[in-house]
Amino acid sequence: MLIPRRVKHRKQHHPSLRGRAKGGTSVNFGEYGIQALESAYVTNRQIESARIAMTRHIRRGGKVWITIFPDRPLTKKPAETRMGSGKGSPEWWVAPVKPGRVMFELAGVPEPIAKEALRRAMHKLPMKCKFVKREAGE
Amino acid sequence: MSEVRIAAEPRTEFGKGAARRARRAGKVPAVLYGHGTDPRHITLPGHDLMLALKTPNVLLRLDGVEGGDNLVLPKSVQRDAIKGFLEHVDLLVVKKGEKVSVEIWVTVTGEVAHGGVLNQELVQIEVLAEATHIPQGVEVDVTGLEAGAQISAGDLKLPEGAELATDPEALVVTIAAERTSEEGAGEEGEAAAAPAAE
Repeated sequence: MLIPRRVKHRKQHHPSLRGRAKGGTSVNFGEYGIQALESAYVTNRQIESARIAMTRHIRRGGKVWITIFPDRPLTKKPAETRMGSGKGSPEWWVAPVKPGRVMFELAGVPEPIAKEALRRAMHKLPMKCKFVKREAGE
Repeated sequence: MSEVRIAAEPRTEFGKGAARRARRAGKVPAVLYGHGTDPRHITLPGHDLMLALKTPNVLLRLDGVEGGDNLVLPKSVQRDAIKGFLEHVDLLVVKKGEKVSVEIWVTVTGEVAHGGVLNQELVQIEVLAEATHIPQGVEVDVTGLEAGAQISAGDLKLPEGAELATDPEALVVTIAAERTSEEGAGEEGEAAAAPAAE
């Protein structure tokens, strides 16, 4: 699963989910991609699950790019704990994703297979997404 | 390549308020520059421009622009990331017979030999071409290429009148060996067993 090797601070504030993606909004590496239509925290488990769903469908051939990285820790206090006594311990690693962000890219497979593979991957993600293709021209 | 005529109107009010008003009215704010001229701000009809920009590197002739330089190429197109509508366009003034640097699309045709996987490293290459004769794209035939084969930018057969402006050594297409199912399974297992760092 994707996880940072080393972090400067173990516990951070919650990342912002306001606004729209500033960059990474187009398909740059592959031919097809998954674009987020809502904002959400995508955990490393969800990313891995989506990747497996995709690669199992395309079987052989094809190349997958993951264009987000879960580098923000979220913390959680243990159950049945009184409030106070400091921040909880890191529980999840997430990538804060804003609308417009392309999260996965795929190349080297025919379009119907790519569409189905990405559709399966979209079911593993916590927000509404859409299938996008590389833009021709301009 | 034929040119597309588009009616342009000069823009007198600026800023995001004015730009949003123009977009609500179905127009697209644009800026026109090149050949040492001062930038000129115009608005273009949104639907006509959207149809014209479906052709890569389309040559536009603007009607209603002062100064006579009305032959332009789209230099930069800004679109809404989700809906895809046009937000703003930068247009570069060109002259007939002038050579301009443009990016054209690389299209791969054919099937690689069994056991190879196609990796397209470059999808666009920069070429120098006459402004009025910009090629639509360049085709690369990969039929029968085996694993380990490479095609660089210098190997491409460019359309007549176009010169390569990219590094000729730049890789365009590489053929990798197809992964066996055991390799794929091993990689999946490794990914799942990665240690959780804190």
